[in-house]
Amino acid sequence: MLNGLNVLNNLNDSNPLVEIQGVSKSFHKTVKEHTTEVKALADVSLSIRENEFISIIGPSGCGKTTLLKMIDGLIPYDGGKILIDGKQVTAPGPDRAVVFQAFALLPWRTVLANVEFSLELRRLPKEARTKTARDYLKRVGLSDFENHYPHELSGGMQQRAGLARALAVNPSILLMDEPFGAVDAQTRQLLQEELLELWQRERKTVIFITHSMDEAVYLSDRVVVMTPRPGKVAEILDVPLPRPRVSEAVRRDAKFVDLTNYIWESLKKAMENHHP
Amino acid sequence: MKSRFGTNFFSLLSLALLWEVTGRAMDSTLIPPLSQIGAAWWKLLSSGKLLSNLSMSLTTLVTGFCLAVLIGVVVGLLMGRFRAVEHFLDLYVNALMSAPSTAFVPVLILWFGLGVESRVAVVFLFAVFVIIINTMTGVKQVDTVLVEMARSFGAREKEIFFMIILPAALPAIMAGLRLGMGRAVKGMVTAEMLLTLTGIGAMIMQYGSSFATDSLFAVIFTVLLIALLTMKAVQWLDRRLTGWKAEIAIE
Repeated sequence: MLNGLNVLNNLNDSNPLVEIQGVSKSFHKTVKEHTTEVKALADVSLSIRENEFISIIGPSGCGKTTLLKMIDGLIPYDGGKILIDGKQVTAPGPDRAVVFQAFALLPWRTVLANVEFSLELRRLPKEARTKTARDYLKRVGLSDFENHYPHELSGGMQQRAGLARALAVNPSILLMDEPFGAVDAQTRQLLQEELLELWQRERKTVIFITHSMDEAVYLSDRVVVMTPRPGKVAEILDVPLPRPRVSEAVRRDAKFVDLTNYIWESLKKAMENHHP
Repeated sequence: MKSRFGTNFFSLLSLALLWEVTGRAMDSTLIPPLSQIGAAWWKLLSSGKLLSNLSMSLTTLVTGFCLAVLIGVVVGLLMGRFRAVEHFLDLYVNALMSAPSTAFVPVLILWFGLGVESRVAVVFLFAVFVIIINTMTGVKQVDTVLVEMARSFGAREKEIFFMIILPAALPAIMAGLRLGMGRAVKGMVTAEMLLTLTGIGAMIMQYGSSFATDSLFAVIFTVLLIALLTMKAVQWLDRRLTGWKAEIAIE
């Protein structure tokens, strides 16, 4: 144990919402007709509670985005099982929504129409669609920009639209793939605070991929540290910081600093022990 | 925009002046002064000869081009979307795209005779391949992140095609239409000069061989005007359909 922080390695919760059991994944990489097998993930197990905010952190190429896409059902896994509410994941479902790293907004649609996109696919009638989309745009503070096109907005605003699009379908699980990786540092901090506020209000389970240690600690209930390729769970850390978390205060908190340092050490160790 | 228009106007005016002065100085039938060409153009217009030939040419152009758009876009979409279709067809499309389409005119005469069908076929042949290739490229260049996004929100193949692929490929398709239109005009004149002497092409051949250079230039300018106007029409459509893209380009 480190400075009274609870370091847990396999949390056994009585009723997990998402259960990842011994999942592995390999890709076939073809370079000049030479096919090699790349092991992206090896035997990953993780249980996620309902309404939990969990971050997955690891060096680039550790398969964290792959893991997220498998939870969403976008790509199949080779071995193991992913269960949501006890049911095995085979395809994307209405209980999950993704916030993408590169925003993935449709450039030919206005902000409002972009948020409506997810609702269109759910076959919501036009009026209900617009009403819901406006409601969520208001929650992310984009009401005044509903008729703008994505390229007219800053990166931070584009990601707010991406967040509104995901929240609009009211998923119980929000999958976030390095959502603030493409915005500048100040905007990033602002978006983190807004996300926590939203999460506190909406009570959703959030699975958050990041490579920023302080982002992971500031936002999460637990942080999963992964090893380089093939990605494995190195350790799972509890973040015992009280909520609601006020950014300035939390970042000065000794526990915050210790935990961030500990994750850094853990990542370093995982990378040093790594022999590809 | 305004200054560009001004420069265009200035450029045309200088050329017109230079032409007029040269024409008068040379005093030869080879380069008739612009005023004489203008008079010949007016005579052709008021006699109805230009308009009747023009309508014949434009019918060929529009029919051939519309067929090329219809078939070109459908084939391009299929080739872009399905690897098997691409591999099955890309050899022919690439070969026919670079080959001089004029070489096929005798074959078309054999197949379609000397009537309007043949001329339409030439216009079609000139325009279709560049439309196919642009459409296919547009489909293949669609950002995979957008497709993944749609899939993650539960989109099925049909929805991915109509809500993502088609709108995302539209700017490239429109670029293909623009290039195709330019080639279609070339095809139109080629068909009218090489197949049966009809329409604008016939007028060019007739005035050229009889040294009626003022009328010849009047017809040639008319062809240039058609090329310009049809191009503007496609550009207008492009801006209507893909306005979001044009705005990006301006920034």
